[in-house]
Amino acid sequence: MSFLNPFLLFGAFALAIPVLIHLVRREKSEIIPFSSLMFLLKVPKRAIRQQKIKNLLLMALRLLILALLVGAFARPYLTQPSTPAANANSNRGVVLMLDTSYSMRYANNFDKMKAEAQQRIDSLGAGDRMALVEFNESASLLNRPTSDKGALRAALNNLKPSYAATRFYEAFSLAERVLGEFSGDQKELVVISDFQRNGWNRSSRESVIGSDVKTETVNLAVKEWSNVGIDSALLDQTSFNRTYTGRMVVRIRNYSKDKPIVVPVSVSLNDKAAGRKDVTVSANSTEVAEFTGFDLPLGFSKGHIRIETGDPLPIDNEFLFSIERREKMSVLVIDAGKPKQSLYLRQAYMSTAELPFNVTTMTASAVSPEEMAKHEVVIINDVPRLTDAVRNKLDELRKTGQGQLVILGGNSEVGWWAGYAKLPVKPIQRIFVPKDRGRPSVSITTYDQNHGIFKPFRTSTRVALNSAQFWEYVNVEARPGATVLAKADDGSPLIVESSPEDHGLIVFTSTVDSRWNDMPLKPSFLPLFHEVVHYLTRYNESRAWYALGEGVPITAGLQSGAAAVIDPDNERQPLGDLTAGQTKFFTPVKPGFHEIRVGPDTRMVAVNPPAAEGNLDSMPPEDLLASVKRTGETGPGAGWGTDEQTEYARRQTGWWYLLLFALLACMAEIYIANRTYKTT
Amino acid sequence: MTIQVADRTPVNRFIDPKVLLKIQNLELVARHVVEGFVQGLHRSPYTGFSVDFASYRLYMPGDEIRRIDWNVFARSDRLYIKLYEGDTNTRVLVMLDISGSMNYGSSEIKKIDYARILAACLTYFAHHQRDGVGLLTFDTQIRAHVPSSRRRGQLLTILSEIDRIQPSEQTEFRKPLRFLAEYLTRRGLIVLISDLFDEPDNIIAGLKALKAKGNDIIVFHIMDPYELTFPFEEAAQFEDMETRKKLHVIPEYLREQYMTIVKDHMERIRKELAGTRIDYCLMDTSKPLDQGLFTYLAARSKSV
Repeated sequence: MSFLNPFLLFGAFALAIPVLIHLVRREKSEIIPFSSLMFLLKVPKRAIRQQKIKNLLLMALRLLILALLVGAFARPYLTQPSTPAANANSNRGVVLMLDTSYSMRYANNFDKMKAEAQQRIDSLGAGDRMALVEFNESASLLNRPTSDKGALRAALNNLKPSYAATRFYEAFSLAERVLGEFSGDQKELVVISDFQRNGWNRSSRESVIGSDVKTETVNLAVKEWSNVGIDSALLDQTSFNRTYTGRMVVRIRNYSKDKPIVVPVSVSLNDKAAGRKDVTVSANSTEVAEFTGFDLPLGFSKGHIRIETGDPLPIDNEFLFSIERREKMSVLVIDAGKPKQSLYLRQAYMSTAELPFNVTTMTASAVSPEEMAKHEVVIINDVPRLTDAVRNKLDELRKTGQGQLVILGGNSEVGWWAGYAKLPVKPIQRIFVPKDRGRPSVSITTYDQNHGIFKPFRTSTRVALNSAQFWEYVNVEARPGATVLAKADDGSPLIVESSPEDHGLIVFTSTVDSRWNDMPLKPSFLPLFHEVVHYLTRYNESRAWYALGEGVPITAGLQSGAAAVIDPDNERQPLGDLTAGQTKFFTPVKPGFHEIRVGPDTRMVAVNPPAAEGNLDSMPPEDLLASVKRTGETGPGAGWGTDEQTEYARRQTGWWYLLLFALLACMAEIYIANRTYKTT
Repeated sequence: MTIQVADRTPVNRFIDPKVLLKIQNLELVARHVVEGFVQGLHRSPYTGFSVDFASYRLYMPGDEIRRIDWNVFARSDRLYIKLYEGDTNTRVLVMLDISGSMNYGSSEIKKIDYARILAACLTYFAHHQRDGVGLLTFDTQIRAHVPSSRRRGQLLTILSEIDRIQPSEQTEFRKPLRFLAEYLTRRGLIVLISDLFDEPDNIIAGLKALKAKGNDIIVFHIMDPYELTFPFEEAAQFEDMETRKKLHVIPEYLREQYMTIVKDHMERIRKELAGTRIDYCLMDTSKPLDQGLFTYLAARSKSV
């Protein structure tokens, strides 16, 4: 039984008032001189007791009246059905919460869990029902509530340990819904788990279980445990060189509280050894091992990091990663042939050998359509005009996914470029920022921060676009459908992108040779123009590995196509068709290498079990249950029909009976009090 | 009825003329003949130095030689003793209980006041009858004793002594009664005025000893109406006026039992006294004093 207005139960303190009055009055009672107490002292104690009992009955009745009134105002309701038919049902409704997180792979914990579950299935009575809830990072119902022990055993036998982390909240939520189906039964919730402390997120929403549910826990936590695992690996997923020149940092965690350990760490790439080191990891700490300088074949490579520890949880002793070696992005710069016209551009893309760009420079008069087709990105750097063949070829190549950047400057013939209809802007005139207006230049003060080309400026405060000063620019008018990505502080468009229908063309309305502006001399120049090329080539850096349960983005490239995932067991999971540029997310459920296919493109994704699960530190089950809020009802509204709601409403009519009893008690009190005073 | 005290002089304070008027219309007659010399209403069973001749009897060795009637010896040559018979007064001793419990009173008149008045009335009355009157006040022991006498100033002496009474101690009948039994050599009328707050055995044993010595005894049992009915309502701490002990009492719990015990106590005393021919009279301080005396003396006159 519970109460709708439990705070009104504080009114029960009123019960103390008559008793207190009695005690206070007794302490402060009047002193009456009397001739002699010899007769009073001769009164038998039993007679006094009988008198007291008679009056105690009155007092008890009065207290009962008060208690009944307090109870009625607190609005009691029955958590169990009150009808005799419902109460007559002594069947049990049991929900088994079975932990299948990967920490249960420790030693033989999973077998113990199945044995415990088996035992509870065997102990089911004839009318008892049971449901099995498997939980790890998510929770799922293995079977609906049933009395069929065979079905329950079959479901249990098919249960396998997962590679996912532990999360109790989802499990309790599902169990609460399932318990709501045991209307009229004695509800029981049995949690069989190793009660990993990591599984309970105190900041998450509060789990709720009905107060009428009897809970039981089976703690499979190992008291003296030891585990060493690979926590994470930090590396660049893409390399443009044959030799991996970046740093691959492997973090190794020793969860043991008191034992340091020397761990041999080895890295292999496509089953070919790439490095090996011994790392000493102190107790309850993390150590890193660094690897670099290994050779990479073209395309995706499957990488393994292994540690040899021999602990009872081997799953976290191996760590997977994928790494891709790509050819450098081919960029064709077409200029007017003026000296140093493309100097800064070339330096931006070719300053170091590690940069993933391969730049070819040609004059506008020398370029041929065939030459343009060889490159992923074409930059037209301030040329007066293009030949019709080149212009048509540009339009054609954009449709195949080529990215193009048009830079307008002093050499550009405004009239010709204004006549180029597919250009997202219509140039109007060259603008010299007037020097007599106080400030002889403009800067980029407004830009679309969510756009890909401005990605470096979202996170860094050291590189700012507005540091560059523009003295001259070509005033343009954006054509319909075009998007202005950046504006000068006088409102003139400086960077404009073509419409989505003609995707892949960006116009920059000032030069990149430091004559019209000082941008090439500013720190923002390199990241901006690197990102422009990245954007135009639709280059997406992906991660070397994902944790199990994380969403893996799957993006279509230049062409639309059917997407599918080949999981580590070589099972194909179709994801439907993706249009060009569309992104879908796939959540892997198995650790291992996943092959993701979108049309003709294929890439490899490594998925590892969540590292936190390697920490087997457990919490007392009582603490977990104490954190779960107990409510008056289980699963309100969980599949309830009108009958159940009527029953639910009927359970709240207890206050009416309490008032009736209070009235009867009042009548009894009046009768007894009258009799008592008449006799005395 | 409230007894009004008209005058502060010892005599007038205690003797209400209205009361005395009623008592004088009755004859206070002793149940038995008490020895005495003075002419009165009491017949003495003894012969003595009275003027009225009774009879002769033979001289027995040990008789006083001076009481031999030599004229008869001369005529008959036999030794006869001449006996006289005459009305004698009796010795009345008023025993007044002055224990602490007698100081209780639910109204204006405390039990001790009531007892004082009663004692004074009886003293005055007996003195008027030319009886020798004495007074003995006691609690746990004898506090004052005025031996019985018929002298003129005796009444004032006794009344003054009654006026000085200050109740304080507990009641203890055994000692005073034992003292009286040893002290009183002559028989007389003993009037005990007390609330009898002692064990009945102690009271009865002492009185029986006095009765056995030939004394006529009247017991006036003084009780306050609250002691008889216990009409208290509120719970309170009752303090014993003799021992100063306190007891938390819820009257409604105890009233019935208390009244039964008090009634049993009085009934037992009454029965035991009646068995030894000792008169017992319950005096309720709420009832008029003269009415009590009248009732008692009327009953006494019938029995004589």
